[in-house]
This record gives sequence, structure tokens and C-alpha cells, in this order.
Amino acid sequence: MIERKERKIYWHHTKWQMVASLVPFFVVLIVLPFYADKLNSSKFLGFPLGYMLMLHGVVLIAAITVASFVNRQDAIDHWHGAHEDL
Amino acid sequence: MSLVTSSRTRLINPRLGIYFGIFTSAFVALALVLVILEQLGADEAVLGVLMLIGPLGLYAAIGASSFTSEPSDYFAAGRRVPAVYTGLGLAVSAVGATGITALTGVLFLSGSDALCLAMGFVAGFVVMAILFAPFVRKAGAFTLPSFFAKRFESRLVRVVSAAIVAVPIILVLAAEIRAGAFAASFLSGANVEIMAAVLVVVLISMLVTGGLRSLTWATTGAGIAALLALLVPVAIVAVFLTNMPVPQLSHGPVLRALGRSESALAMSKDTVDLLTFALAGEGLQPIVKRFAAPNGSVGALAFIVAMLTTMAGVAAAPWLFPRLAATPSVYETRKALGWATIITGVIMMTLASIAVFMREYLFDIVTAAGEAQIPGWLQDLAGSDLAQIDTGTGAFSVASFSFARDGVILGLPLAGGMPGVMLHVVLAGIVAAAVAGGGAALVALGNILAEDVVDGLSPTAAPDPVRITTARVALMLVAAVGGAFAILAPTDPLRLVIWALVLTASSIFPVLLLAIWWKRANAYGAVAGMVTGFGVAAVTMFACEAHWLGLDSALAAVFGIPAGLAAAMGVTVATPLPGRDALDYVSDMRIPGGETLYDREMRLQRQRLRQHG
Repeated sequence: MIERKERKIYWHHTKWQMVASLVPFFVVLIVLPFYADKLNSSKFLGFPLGYMLMLHGVVLIAAITVASFVNRQDAIDHWHGAHEDL
Repeated sequence: MSLVTSSRTRLINPRLGIYFGIFTSAFVALALVLVILEQLGADEAVLGVLMLIGPLGLYAAIGASSFTSEPSDYFAAGRRVPAVYTGLGLAVSAVGATGITALTGVLFLSGSDALCLAMGFVAGFVVMAILFAPFVRKAGAFTLPSFFAKRFESRLVRVVSAAIVAVPIILVLAAEIRAGAFAASFLSGANVEIMAAVLVVVLISMLVTGGLRSLTWATTGAGIAALLALLVPVAIVAVFLTNMPVPQLSHGPVLRALGRSESALAMSKDTVDLLTFALAGEGLQPIVKRFAAPNGSVGALAFIVAMLTTMAGVAAAPWLFPRLAATPSVYETRKALGWATIITGVIMMTLASIAVFMREYLFDIVTAAGEAQIPGWLQDLAGSDLAQIDTGTGAFSVASFSFARDGVILGLPLAGGMPGVMLHVVLAGIVAAAVAGGGAALVALGNILAEDVVDGLSPTAAPDPVRITTARVALMLVAAVGGAFAILAPTDPLRLVIWALVLTASSIFPVLLLAIWWKRANAYGAVAGMVTGFGVAAVTMFACEAHWLGLDSALAAVFGIPAGLAAAMGVTVATPLPGRDALDYVSDMRIPGGETLYDREMRLQRQRLRQHG
């Protein structure tokens, strides 16, 4: 079980992990659509690149974001003793 | 293998995989038997009815056999649903029948502009995973208003949030019943209104016995059926068109060929104003723009706004919320959201590939040399009023054809030249998705009505039998209201879901965000935030629909979310700090370790009762 004085540090760490997970994802999500038309003139695997990044790319980045978040946050939990006793 | 088992593995039923393996075999076997019967010359109407009642009977049987009268089972499926099953349930319920039918159609008609919704759904689960789900699971509340009530120590917050979330949930329920009834009416031959009533009866008999427990296991079956029905036909078509059974990754070359045809036909590449949002609605419509060219019907800013609205709406969706409390641990909840993200992503890529293939089939007619023939599949669609062919001008162009948005996905098995039963399988998959999506909304609102409105006004929890009975009655009541709404006020299902997402994003998202990430947030702020966000979004939507604003109602959250966030923060700062208990609650909620907060409270309450009498 986590100690009282450890809680603040744990939450600090968790907050930064949240920012580190979400910011790159949001940047891609918001910036990408504006460049879709330009990117469409390039091709990858037969796909227009802009379309492919908006569909396959976003799904891939989303999956990587959640997977890395699950791993990193679990490591943070264990480091601070905040994990569940399973 | 070690004999020492952790509590997590002890809780989970080790035979789940076997059970759902049997279910999958049964579903596939039914389809194959029907194919055989079709080849033997059985009546197509009979086959359709069998493909409707067979799976529906299975879902209802799974649901009914999950009978329970324990609150932790009825409201949280005993907290023993593994991550994969929760993820599958979340993904299929979020997309639902509306998503499957309407998104395919919108992608087909409006091309890549519809990706704003697809990206929003996927991103919604990422945001839910990181910002909300782990903390909500640690709190362990059965409904969103119950969570708010504990977090803000306020019965007012509980009642206000219950009233507010009821609106989007009813919208989703009505949309799902309508989209499901649309598919079911093709299978049975009966009209949509009758099938809506049938779906309501099926949902009630499936869910009234076991609440969230029934929902979880019945919609795991429905989710598997929906995914199979979605993935298999398009994989077969992909083998014909691209030589590979992975349409999600192999529709690129088809899309490139399509692009060449589109430029040969000089289709429009024009872009619209920044804030235009004109995705295809219901009714027959022609294809107006190139598939991959962005911003032909949704402006660049509107695209971002619609995407972020969908994201916030899905992340805070009160109809998905109850499932988060049903996983065995905080860690499993995070993993469940990972599965939900991946499954939603696969669904979206599949829908896009269906849209591309259907355009390819259509362009084959238009670009064919010599005198064009109308193929059988298009005649079938036109015969069912799902397409219209303008033969007036002699030669065919893209503009000669118009399509009903929700019928495009039904064209795939027809255009692929598959046996008639494949169409029935696709329809059964849409009905399955409606069962999952509608069921999730139904259980969520039924439990909110029982737990937060009827029982929630007394300071201690009612005796277990009373709670469960109230919840069962509430569930039937909500089902009747949702069904009546779907039948009496027929509205475009996609519009209903978009409105639900706008309202959720504006009213619930800001308050949920602050409830977890800002310790200072208090009950006054929560009420102000929810009411302001909801009010601003609703007024904006009304003004948009009445054409007072040059804006589409799907973009109303652009005012709603900032207003909700500003009101919640402003009022919180102007009012006193939250009480000691609320602050302790937030502290405990933020630490994954330790007992689930709701379970701890119930245990202490039982202990006190035992001591006093």
C-alpha cells in the first residue's frame, strides 16, 4: 500500500504521464487533417497518404498511445507502491 | 502451471472462452445451414426470419440465463469481466448499428470527410483510457450520477446529472432501436415500427433478469456476431478485388484506381467553407465529391470540431460508463480500453473499405465501354428503395445514381455476387450491433432511474431485493419510452447519435474531467457546469436547426464545451472548498491500490447495520 507522503509524488508522476501520452496524440489528431490534401499527392501501399494517415495512421497511433500508457502507468504504480494487490 | 492463483484469475470464469467459442460456432453453423437450405431452394423469406430469430433467441437466452438478484452482479456483472470482453462490449456498443450502417453510407457518399466521426470514435477511447476509466473503476460506482454524488458529496448533483444524462441516453437508445429495426424489417418482411416493438421486447427479456451481467454476456455474443457479419463478407469481396482477405489494408490500390476514374469523370474537388458541415443525411442522395479529397462537404474547422466533439462525447458517454465498473481491477480497465481502441479502429477501417469497394462497383458501371448495363445488385437495391437510377439522359454518369445512406452496406454482398444468405448475415450483424448499443443505453438509463432517482434520494442504500426490483421496473419503463420515441418520432439515427454526443461532450465531459483531475472542484461548480454546458449546447442546437445561425447543429459543442468548463471552474472558485470526505474520496480514487471505494462503503455500511441490530 502506498504511504501517505508518497501520494503527492505519485500524483505528480501520473499527471506528467497523462500529459506525455495525450499531447503527441492530440497534436497528430488536430494538425493532420489540415495537411491531408497535400499528403494525398504521395502514395503509400497504394493509399493516398493523407487518407491513410487519417484512418490507419490514427488507429495505429491510438493503439500505441494506449498500450504505452498502460505499460508506463503500471510501472509508475509499482514504483510508488500504488499498485493493486492481485 | 502454478497452483497459486491470484484473485484476478480466481474471479474470472475460466470457461468463458469455451462458451463464446460455442456461440461463434453456432452462429457460423446457422449461416452455413441457411446457405445449404438456400441452395436446396428454400423460400428466401423463411431464411430471413430464421437469420433474425436464431441469433436474437441466442442473445435473449444468454441474457435470461444470467439471472441474478445480487446488486453487485446486477449493476456491475460481479466485477469479473475480463479486459477483452469489456473492450469488445465498449467498442460495439459505442459504434452500434447506427455507426455501422450510417458511417458506411456517409463514407460512401461524402468520402473521407466522414473520417471526422471515425477518428473521433477511436480518439474517444484513448481519452477515456487515460483521463477517466482507471479512476472511475477505482471509485466503482454503478452509474455516472452515483459517481458524481460520491465525488461531490451532493444529492443535488446526483439528481441534476441523472436528469441531464437521461437526454443523450434516450437519443442513443432510440437511434439504435431505429437502426436495428431498419435491418430487422428487411429480414422479416414486417415494417420498421413492428420490428422496433419486437426489438424492445427482445431487449427487455434479455436484460430484465440480470441487468449489466446479462448485458455483458449477451452483448459479448452480439459483438462477436456483429464483427463476424461485418468482417467476413468484405474479406470475401477483398479477395475478388485485391487478392488479399484483409480489406482494411488492401483497399489502397482500389482507391487509387477509383481516384483515376474520379479525375477522368472530372468529379468535383472543390472545398467548402471552414465551418460547413454537410455530411449525407437520410434519403436518396447522389455522390458529389471525390473519395479521398478532403473538405468537399465538411470544412477544415468543422472537421476538427466534429472530431473533438465525437471524441469528448464517447470519452464521457454515460451509456458506456457502467461497463467500466465491471472489470476485475484498475489495470484490467486500462487494458480493456486498449482493446476497445483497437476493435473500434478495425471497425472503422472495415467500414471505409466497404465504402471504397462499393464506389468501385458503381464506377465499373459508369466507366464501362459501350452501352452500360445496370447490374442485378443495383436493380435489387433500387427495388428496395435503397437506390435510384436516373435513366433519362441515355448515358450514365455518377450523377445518374442516388443511394440511401443506410442501404450502402447492404449493397456489398449483393454486388460481390454472394449467396442471398450473406445479405441476411450482414443484416443480422446490424441487428446484433443494435442489441449491443441499445442494450447498453437501456441498462445505463434503467439503473440511473432506479439507483439515482428512486433510491438515490434516501441517505442509505435500500435493501437489496428492493433495489433490484426497482431496477427491473425502471429498465422496462425506459425500454418502453425509448421504443415509443423510435416509433413515434422517427429521426435520422446518425443525427440522434451526433446530438447525444454533442450534449454529452458539453455537459458531462467538462465536469467529469474536473471531478478527477481538479481536487478543488466542488458540487456548486459541478451543477453549474452541467446545466450551463447542456443549456448552451441545447440552445445552440435549436438555433442551428431553426437556421438562425449559419452553423450545423453537429458543431454546437464548440460553444457548449467551453461554456460548461468555464461555468464549472468559475463557480467552483467563487464557492467554498469541497468537504473533507470529498477530498479524501478524490485522494483514494487516484490510487489504483486498495479496496474499490464503492465496495468498501457497502462493507462498512453492512458492518454498522450488524453492530446496531
